[in-house]
Amino acid sequence: MVELIKLAWRNIWRNKRRSLITIASIFFAVFFAVVMRSIQLGSYGHMIKQSIENFSGYLQIQNPEYFDEQSLDNSLEYTPELIETLNKLEDVKIAVPRIEGFVLASSGHQSKGVIVTGIDTQKEKHASNPENNLVRYILTPKIVKEITTEFAFDKKTEELLWLNQNTAYTNIERIGLDLDMNAKEFSKYEQPFKDKAYAPGQYLTANDSGALVSSKLANFLNIQVGDTIIMIGSGYHGSSAAGLFPVRGIIKVLSPELDNKLIYITLSRAQQFFDMHGRITSIAINIDNTDQMLSVQNNIQHTIDNEKYTVKNWEQINPVLKQQIESDDKSGQMFVGILYFIVFFGILGTVMMMIAERKREFGVLVAIGMRKRKLSAIVIVEMLFIGIVGTLSGLLAAVPLVIAFNLHPVRFTGETGKTYEEMGFDPIMPTAPIDHYFTWQAVIILIMVLLACYIPLWRIRKMKIMNSLRG
Amino acid sequence: MKVIEINELHKIYNESEVKVHAVNGITLDFDEGEFAAIVGPSGSGKTTLLNMIGGLDSPTSGNVIVAGSEMSALRGSELTDFRLHNIGFVFQAYNLIPVLTARENTEFVMRLQNKPAKECKSRAEEMLNAVGLGNRMESRPSKMSGGQQQRVAVARALASKPQFVLADEPTANLDSKSTETLLEIMEKLNREENITFIFSTHDARVVKKARRVITIEDGKVVSDERK
Repeated sequence: MVELIKLAWRNIWRNKRRSLITIASIFFAVFFAVVMRSIQLGSYGHMIKQSIENFSGYLQIQNPEYFDEQSLDNSLEYTPELIETLNKLEDVKIAVPRIEGFVLASSGHQSKGVIVTGIDTQKEKHASNPENNLVRYILTPKIVKEITTEFAFDKKTEELLWLNQNTAYTNIERIGLDLDMNAKEFSKYEQPFKDKAYAPGQYLTANDSGALVSSKLANFLNIQVGDTIIMIGSGYHGSSAAGLFPVRGIIKVLSPELDNKLIYITLSRAQQFFDMHGRITSIAINIDNTDQMLSVQNNIQHTIDNEKYTVKNWEQINPVLKQQIESDDKSGQMFVGILYFIVFFGILGTVMMMIAERKREFGVLVAIGMRKRKLSAIVIVEMLFIGIVGTLSGLLAAVPLVIAFNLHPVRFTGETGKTYEEMGFDPIMPTAPIDHYFTWQAVIILIMVLLACYIPLWRIRKMKIMNSLRG
Repeated sequence: MKVIEINELHKIYNESEVKVHAVNGITLDFDEGEFAAIVGPSGSGKTTLLNMIGGLDSPTSGNVIVAGSEMSALRGSELTDFRLHNIGFVFQAYNLIPVLTARENTEFVMRLQNKPAKECKSRAEEMLNAVGLGNRMESRPSKMSGGQQQRVAVARALASKPQFVLADEPTANLDSKSTETLLEIMEKLNREENITFIFSTHDARVVKKARRVITIEDGKVVSDERK
């Protein structure tokens, strides 16, 4: 075996240039495939995080009839004991009660259909955590005008400032990023922005009668902290739901789509508003390991009373997002497939050249007593060496990039960022952490190498020694 | 004692078109320890006969029995193993493995026989010393002259102590001095280790050393002289 490996290794380097070109083609294919898949999977992860983890939860316990008809009439009895039981389950990160209703929100001359979500203000800090997303700064047109008058910005920065008018920020650094400034450049403008753009606001207290309004909705309704919005809708069993809600804070919801239509109020206020005392519409559950979602769902289903409750996962709750991810994933896989298809022919070319130039040598080896099976093994080992060196180097080169962009995702600013937001996406491009998709690239390359080996193996099997010795 | 028997051997090429009788009804036998040369003009069928004795080519009809085994009855890996354990080959074009050193090339057949590494190494060194290449053991074929490469090929063929050595025009590409050296080595090994040598050649120097000279013309034996 050692002899076989030694011979194979030396054979690889007898034509260094060809081997290096083949290794390089595998290297680049693996590198690009890994980085591309990482960006894709990272984007899906981010989309899921912003829409699922920060809003609906990976799992939801509902009234069995709620899934087909999302009406408050199909709500469930609020039993804190059930939530305690769920929170004690292994793999459950947090379970929180929710009331979700659809109403018309109005302020001044503006009105819009919105989602009102009643939350347990303390428990929710461990789930969607709206407090963390409280808007601290807003670039109103008035502030942009003041600042551009006060400071002599270059044309590009000024354009970016106007482009970001009415944008809400949870921290001051994000303003700098949106203006394409590094931390040092932005530091000299930081204080004026803090002074002028500061937006007051606070999180809801336990028995608060106010509301937290998502930033784009607040902008649409033209409301600020301290203003009051009117909400009108239909309550439990056809009752009329109407109320005035002072705005306690503006929140920046990660999902741009939700940022256009979300209002948080306390659970008790929601129960009162919708006239559904002692009831909720769902229990949202976040889990520790999202790969285990189905088994956790199954486990919960066995824990709860199936007559009264059912557990749905986010893919069931939000099939549109699931389909969106799946169709994008398919196109990504197709691109990687084309990339590998091209590389496959590169490998095949190397194999064909190798057997063409060593035809006589193969004949000699069999003539002096090497079994064809052993000769085939040498060819496979040679190609596997090339495949493994190319794959490992490609994976290793991708690692720092994947880790760096996972920890510090690329953030699109300016026009690109705005376009992303208008399309309903958060304008950042994180990479997925190192996971199974790394292993898959290695598996695909190894399968391709073995497929490419089929031709030489077939030729060795059919080889006539005399023909080979004649070259 | 007869170790090779050749009975009514025929080899016809281009059977479907113009038939070429490369070997045309040869019957011969060889005793153990012979040092024989098969001579004849180019295209007379020497190499074809040698290849069929070595099981590298198959006859159209007739048979070759080597050490009691009928070569055409052996299939695939059986035939390969037979060659591995019984026959040493020396080719006209040396046919060394370019990525292996002289010592590794010499060891190669023994390693295929799964002999212990230590034994392979010492035998390879012994053989390379015997062929006068003790100082070139770690050289690769590309760094050696034709004569040196052919001596390595002889060392490779003999290192595993085969019963027979079949050498196809072993001196065709060598100068006089190399030819003389090589023939002396082979003669010595034939004498000392009783290995049967059969050459195909049209080199007068080889014919002079051979103790039996078989002349072939048009695929037929026209003379068979023992000295």
